[in-house]
Amino acid sequence: MAEVLLKNIKKIYTDNESRKKGRGKFRQQPKEGEEEKKVSLQITDEGVVAVQEFNLDIKDKEFIVLVGPSGCGKSTTLRMIAGLEEITSGELYIDGNLVNNVEPKDRDIAMVFQSYALYPHMTVYDNMAYSLKIKHVDKAEIDRKVREAAEILDITQYLDRKPKALSGGQRQRVAIGRAIVRNPKVLLMDEPLSNLDAKLRNQMRSEIIKLRKKINTTFVYVTHDQIEAMTLGDRIVVMKDGYIQQIGTPQEVFDHPANLFVSGFIGTPQMNYFDAELVIREGSYYVETKGISVKLAEDKQLRLKENDVKAQPVTLGVRPEHLTIAEEGINGQVEVSELMGSSLHLHMTVDGKDVICIVPTEGRKVNYDGKQLKLAFTGDVAHVFSREDQHNLEY
Amino acid sequence: MDKKQKTKEKRSISYAKWGYIFIIPFFIVYAIFTLYPQILTVYNSFFEYYRDGLNIIGPNFVGFGNYAKLFTPNLSGFIPIVKYTVNTFILWVMGAVPQFIIAMLLALFFTSTRLNIKGQQFFKTVIYMPNLIMASAFSMLFFAMFSKVGPVNQIILASGWADQAIDFLAMKVTVRSLIALMNFLMWFGNTTILLMAGIQGIDESLFESARLDGSSSTQVFFNITMPLLMPIFIYVFITSMIGGIQMFDVPQVLTNGIGTPNNTSMTLIMYLNTFLGISKNYGMAGAVSVLLFIMTAILSTFVFKTISKK
Amino acid sequence: MKKDINTVAAIKLLISRLVVYGILIFLTFLCLFFFYLMFINASRSNAQLQAGFTMIPGGNTIKNFVNAWHDTNISIPVGMKNSFIVASLSAVLTSYFSALTAYGTYVYDFKYKKAVHLFILAIMMIPSQVSAVGFIQLAFKYHLTNKLWMLIIPSIAAPSVYFYMRQYLEATLPLEMVEAARIDGSNEFRIFNEIVLPIMKPAIAVQMIFSFVGSWNNYFMPSLLLNDLQKKTVPVMIATLRSADFTKFDMGKVYMLMVMAILPVMIIYVILSKSIIKGVTSGSVKG
Repeated sequence: MAEVLLKNIKKIYTDNESRKKGRGKFRQQPKEGEEEKKVSLQITDEGVVAVQEFNLDIKDKEFIVLVGPSGCGKSTTLRMIAGLEEITSGELYIDGNLVNNVEPKDRDIAMVFQSYALYPHMTVYDNMAYSLKIKHVDKAEIDRKVREAAEILDITQYLDRKPKALSGGQRQRVAIGRAIVRNPKVLLMDEPLSNLDAKLRNQMRSEIIKLRKKINTTFVYVTHDQIEAMTLGDRIVVMKDGYIQQIGTPQEVFDHPANLFVSGFIGTPQMNYFDAELVIREGSYYVETKGISVKLAEDKQLRLKENDVKAQPVTLGVRPEHLTIAEEGINGQVEVSELMGSSLHLHMTVDGKDVICIVPTEGRKVNYDGKQLKLAFTGDVAHVFSREDQHNLEY
Repeated sequence: MDKKQKTKEKRSISYAKWGYIFIIPFFIVYAIFTLYPQILTVYNSFFEYYRDGLNIIGPNFVGFGNYAKLFTPNLSGFIPIVKYTVNTFILWVMGAVPQFIIAMLLALFFTSTRLNIKGQQFFKTVIYMPNLIMASAFSMLFFAMFSKVGPVNQIILASGWADQAIDFLAMKVTVRSLIALMNFLMWFGNTTILLMAGIQGIDESLFESARLDGSSSTQVFFNITMPLLMPIFIYVFITSMIGGIQMFDVPQVLTNGIGTPNNTSMTLIMYLNTFLGISKNYGMAGAVSVLLFIMTAILSTFVFKTISKK
Repeated sequence: MKKDINTVAAIKLLISRLVVYGILIFLTFLCLFFFYLMFINASRSNAQLQAGFTMIPGGNTIKNFVNAWHDTNISIPVGMKNSFIVASLSAVLTSYFSALTAYGTYVYDFKYKKAVHLFILAIMMIPSQVSAVGFIQLAFKYHLTNKLWMLIIPSIAAPSVYFYMRQYLEATLPLEMVEAARIDGSNEFRIFNEIVLPIMKPAIAVQMIFSFVGSWNNYFMPSLLLNDLQKKTVPVMIATLRSADFTKFDMGKVYMLMVMAILPVMIIYVILSKSIIKGVTSGSVKG
């Protein structure tokens, strides 16, 4: 239960401090959805800049998700909050206290690691009790707390086992149990679900939502999976190349992505982009592309006006689920259609570019394959991004 | 008090200092008990410094005088360091050749799925055992066995293979053979196990596909096993050679430190040892040590190359 | 025709198996024969030994043992005690500090970390005899001969054990484990002792065995350093047997002394042979 305040945090890895050294060895394969190559990071005379200009005010009991592609600095940020990495510059406050130089053990935080990092030679019980033992907590008290945490996570029957004898999902629970047993001020989670298979991941995700209701603490959660970010976070922080791209509630980030990167990173399938013109007619903004013209919705009009946006060429973004098949619209040809159950994903080409459109199945009466269709969208789902710096012109 | 407070505030969460703290015992001990003596050894090699009766001669700086002495023929008419290097090499080769041939064969036997050898654990246990036996005691045992009145001669006499006891310890060939036999027995099991691990490290499917392609076992050996095993083989081979240079316990005890007959089984370390006895000839001993160091250094670079290739 | 090929192949296999087993049995015989003779001869009296060779044990084991045990020229009990002190303390120190050093260069980032690692690898192959001259000189200079700790303390810096431990750590210790312990509130020494050491138990055990055996068998340095009978280790005592006038000895006792020198290691080996053989292969730099 604590506020966490990050003020202009910066992290530079100097030469002798190898970045995430060794950790890679235990990640057998690159994580799903991540590119294996590290995104190019800024390299300065001082070293590699991993995180910079990071400002965030995490409120008490808030669930914050840091999300971004591999190498964006999200894990580094988490590790700085934990005290596992030095902060190069900036200030970190937990509960109002400056903690830049405080060792992890004195920060009253707990962390769940991607590899779980359970102590293999200790039983589940001892794993969970270890941090309390170090603090010289009374034995009966330790017992009470461990059993309570085990109860919450439904692992009471495994308390005497060694981690080796547990399944992946059970180990995950133990790792969480070890973290919550001491009622930390802040609970940090570093990609806790990425080692689980898809089914278990979904299950554990809802478990974490339930867990959150049971224990009162501040959560900081790191993931590369935007679905986890959307479903878990009160607010999500989208990062790229060491910079924060956007902070907001999942809905805000989804509805009003701050820039082209965020718009593409959040939401699957990815947003479609068209080259378009932003024009002003009779005091209102329109986007024009491929022979159609759409008037933007009122709230967008207001924001654009506020920013005094001029007419200009823009990148227009429309999410697949917001494209509809209409009488009039953008011409496209269906290449492949994928039946997803309740909906149909149409993979199309529009002027040589790939575009995805999601339409309801309707019992799959229509065979779209190879068809020419016209696509339309409304003014409240059109996102206009600057061609120059890719930011959302609404901001 | 004030100062303490300040440092406490200034402490950082960098763990670098712990790295130094954890490695420091190693380096202190290494510096005192190994590095400093090594430097002293090299230093000594440039001085005349020995004991003659109750007198201590030196230390007097002689430059490369000790080295020159090593390469000068002695009273018996041979150049000591050369002769003993050759001895050491011969003794090593005599043991190593059968050691590597047998070890290679055994490694192939044990890893062959076709032969499917039973009782592998037992055989491995037995052949590795001599490696752990106290070399000096093993050598003493051989001395007792092969002495003129020992059981081997008793067997020979009893069976009538010879009319009189053979003095195994007085003939060049037999002494060298005994040393080689002991080294062979002590090391072939170890080599077998290392080569086996090497062969097992090769992707099984390579053997299988080769066999399906119609290769004979010999072809598989020369075309697949050997080339892929080469780095490990070279590593084991050169480390064996480095071990060979350090050969001491076995010939020392067997010949009572004098390399009988006529210094033909005197090794480099035995020679070094003669300077460290009563004479305490630190100068000459230093020079021998430096040469020893150079030899192993050259061989070690090969080892490093094979390791780094891995 | 088909059947013929099959039978021929079966016969071929049978023959090669026979040959292979023949070789294996011969080597087994060779490895065990001398030790068998040693045990047999250790059970026979001097008179029996002089009389001639036989493969059958004599009834003199206990007498030979008592004679060997009480021999004042050799004092094997003292030697065994000294050897045991040196070997067991060396084993503990070398494995603990090598693990500590390996952990230090593996887990922590410090400026000269790579240089330190390479340095230790580079010194790994330097024969111990190279430092012997200076070591002996210093020992005599500062009157440190006949001190057992002079044989024990240097084992703290064992490059090859370090190398083994480092490889083991790389293969088994995820850094996240260390970080988890830090977050749990453990300090660095405690993390090493309570989390890392237990994880390294198999490696520690293997290195303790090898170190114990190596130290128990070590002859070169002790022979130069120890000349006081009360301080000698077993190999030094065994070697003195060789320089003594052999013909005067009770041979039964001599064989018994050899048995006593070799037997402890043999017992260890019989009990732990499986893990020892495994230890040879996993990252061995011995030999």
